[in-house]
Amino acid sequence: MLEARGLEKTFGRITATDDVTLKFGREEGELVFIVGPNGAGKTTLVNLLTGLLTPDEGAVVMDGEDITAMSPDERVHAGLARSFQVVRVFEDMTVRENIRTVVLARRKRTRSMFSLADGHEEVEVTVADLIEKFRLEDVTDSVAEELPHGDRKLLDVAMSFGLDPNYLLLDEPTSGVSTREKEYVIETIVEVSRAEGVTTVTIEHDMDIVTEYADRLVALHQGAVHGDGTPEMLETDDELRRLLLGVET
Amino acid sequence: MSPGLVDRDGETHVRVTSGLVLSKRRFAGLIAGVLFLFAVPDLVRVAQALDISFFQLGVIHRGLVFGFAAVGLNLLLRHTELVSFGHAAFFGTGAYTAAVAAVYLDVTGLLVLLLLATALGTVMAGVIGALSLRHTGLYFALLTLAFGQLLYAIALGQSALGGSDGMPVRPGEANEPLLFGQALGDAYGVVTYYITAVVVLVGLLVMWRIINSPFRYALDAIGQDRTRAEFIGLPVRRYVWTAFVISGVYGGVAGGLFAVFRRYVTPDGTLYFLQSGDILYMAILGGFKTLLGPLVGGVVLIVLEFVGRSVTPYFEFLTGTVLLILVFGFPEGIVGSLGEGGVFRRAVGQTRHGVASLREDPSVAGDWGRRIGRGLRQQIDESLTTLRVVLFGVS
Repeated sequence: MLEARGLEKTFGRITATDDVTLKFGREEGELVFIVGPNGAGKTTLVNLLTGLLTPDEGAVVMDGEDITAMSPDERVHAGLARSFQVVRVFEDMTVRENIRTVVLARRKRTRSMFSLADGHEEVEVTVADLIEKFRLEDVTDSVAEELPHGDRKLLDVAMSFGLDPNYLLLDEPTSGVSTREKEYVIETIVEVSRAEGVTTVTIEHDMDIVTEYADRLVALHQGAVHGDGTPEMLETDDELRRLLLGVET
Repeated sequence: MSPGLVDRDGETHVRVTSGLVLSKRRFAGLIAGVLFLFAVPDLVRVAQALDISFFQLGVIHRGLVFGFAAVGLNLLLRHTELVSFGHAAFFGTGAYTAAVAAVYLDVTGLLVLLLLATALGTVMAGVIGALSLRHTGLYFALLTLAFGQLLYAIALGQSALGGSDGMPVRPGEANEPLLFGQALGDAYGVVTYYITAVVVLVGLLVMWRIINSPFRYALDAIGQDRTRAEFIGLPVRRYVWTAFVISGVYGGVAGGLFAVFRRYVTPDGTLYFLQSGDILYMAILGGFKTLLGPLVGGVVLIVLEFVGRSVTPYFEFLTGTVLLILVFGFPEGIVGSLGEGGVFRRAVGQTRHGVASLREDPSVAGDWGRRIGRGLRQQIDESLTTLRVVLFGVS
């Protein structure tokens, strides 16, 4: 169970996270979506949970352990991974090298100074497996910088899965991806997280995607939790509809 | 896997050890390089007969020693993408350690002096690294510079260390460090050169293993995106510190070699910040994206300085000009430009291609003329704009 307990975060006079308490169970392959208008504090919440930011108040608890003071890299080894809204991959590495680096890092093999980087067989098996699952076979040896945007997004997500997490937080995995590619990206994510039994918490702006794939929906507004339930909320909660879609009722 | 010939992409390659598989051409280059390295003392005599003044054992030796420090610095520069301006600190610590151990502790063993120099250089790198690596980028560079200058000031101010005059590396009664208890006499220069050659080879081999290891991938990740590196589970500061210390080891070894072969150390010759600058310059001159580049850059720069000094007292003008040409024309450095995809290969390829198409259809010459003319006009326009901005502040 990944828990936010009364998280608070202010930047100057702006309250980005306002007393957020949420629980994400470790139900195999659950897909949680976080929605909310711009500035609702979605990314800040993910940053607080993953350790990019430290909360002013409150605690982050994972599997019963208070991880509020844990560094991001320690959280990764405890089973928490994330991706970023803007693609953050290692630009000068190829797709294979990117994924290999991640798997080596997760297994703490990067400490090895005198073995060959591509000589760790079980690592190579995992790398090949991830490349196949995320359908990156055709671009395996392309440098990340030169990939089309959709593939970059997939690589970014594949790297997060390569960390073998129990909880995965994805910050807008479909942002900037063309409508046609969006479906492909999200379907791959859904497929893999179901297969691997990862609890995935995804920030998403596209309500069609949310309606189609969400097991659970969390809505944020002005830093606070506005609603927490099933995607039907989008139909029944007029206030939420107004906030998200600008639909007057 | 054993050494031998292997087939790769339909061509015969030479497997030296597992992971080191070279094309025949590169393998030949490797053998030639090693032979050359060990033949230098003999070639020096040939050069003397031919009146080639720069090819002296002392000059090449000095180049190798500084180049070796640059090989270490390059681990930081190439992979973690950190620029350190304080590498002379480890070089100087190594050099002064050897001198102090010889003069005050009466350590006579040449190899013991080297070991002590390495140890102290490493410890110094550990301390300076721990203090500097709290910051990145400019502040990191400035901190390394500051610590380097601090050591320089200490060496300069301590009369026990000889102040600005420096101190000899002479253990007690013996006039020079001894190898296995033996005085080397006239052979000192040659024997220390061979020791340096062996150390350089081993150091390169070790560095080659490091830059093909998982550890190197971690450093690359940190250099390319520090935040993401943390979020893939890398304790970033610990890794960078380790890399910093490794590069310090190379600096300490180089300083020890320098002290032993020169038998004299001065603050200006070892600890001064311009030496840090030189070491950095060597890496870039030789090609910091390559393993061998910094070593080649070291030898070339020292030779260049030697030649420059014999021609003009303003030899810095010469090295400065070379640096400008390098940055604008050959940013990949000497080894980088010679390698696959380097400037030279591309130029040769383009020329060949050009000649072929000219033979096929001579009218392309006109096209080229027009293209060159257009390029020139554009260049002149840009230069004039720059000039206007500089002179009048308007574009």
